[in-house]
Amino acid sequence: MTSSSSPSTYGASRARQHLLVFAALAVITAIEIAMTQASIAASLANALFLAFSLAKATLVAAFFMHLRDDSRIYTAIFLLPVVLVLAFSTLMLMSAGGH
Amino acid sequence: MTSHSRTHEDEFRAGRELSLDHRKLGMWLFLASEVMFFGGLIGTFLHYKATIPSPESAELDTILVGINTFVLITSSLMVVLGLDAIQRGNRRGLATFLGLTALLGAVFLGGQVYEFVSLYRHGITLTSSVFGSSFFTLTGFHGLHVLIGVVWAALTLGKVLRGAYSAQDHVGVEVFGLYWHFVDIVWIVLFTIIYLI
Repeated sequence: MTSSSSPSTYGASRARQHLLVFAALAVITAIEIAMTQASIAASLANALFLAFSLAKATLVAAFFMHLRDDSRIYTAIFLLPVVLVLAFSTLMLMSAGGH
Repeated sequence: MTSHSRTHEDEFRAGRELSLDHRKLGMWLFLASEVMFFGGLIGTFLHYKATIPSPESAELDTILVGINTFVLITSSLMVVLGLDAIQRGNRRGLATFLGLTALLGAVFLGGQVYEFVSLYRHGITLTSSVFGSSFFTLTGFHGLHVLIGVVWAALTLGKVLRGAYSAQDHVGVEVFGLYWHFVDIVWIVLFTIIYLI
């Protein structure tokens, strides 16, 4: 919050930001559902689905969970296990693909 | 002895200077453990999906679950709008948005129960196959988290109606919100890996 803005103005702008994030989440979800009904190459569709999922999760964490404005320590606490899980899953899938 | 006390004092001051609220820090640490919990279940599901392709996944209703996903995302919006409201001192607004959060969470659970019953009618159960086991374990645990969130939202609403929380004191609402949004993020990932890919 800037020193020049009142709490109500700041709150209104924050609510507007949350509505915009919600609109983005809703549009991405609608695109995902529409894509399941369209005939798109599986490899392209899967890459897009993963990118959309990452974008949606990032939007929720950054704006709804306020990681964008809050202490970076919270971000580190949350991201460390995410990185570990991604590394573990990748190694496991590579191992499964080798058999 | 004096120097020992000073060291502790300095450490305490350093901790306070980080501006970390212990309730929020506790919730973030809990969510980190939840990432590992769901990460294990998701990794297991992906492993079976890659090694034992199942024709049963064709029975999944992507449209229904897509609508349910929209319901859960909307409930997340309700939580942040409730937090925005109490930060402006609007307790009535917080009560309304918390009520809507609990309602939308219950609608999500209703959709999940409907989906489970439909799959059971198609012969897909917890013990029918590897797909059934991994699917119901993963989505069932997520549903349990939503149920806990609905109860938590209702309890928080009860506190609001008894006069709790204000523009200066709303960390309890924020901590509940962190939990609810995390459950939303988990569903965003599950929706992708179970229903879309």
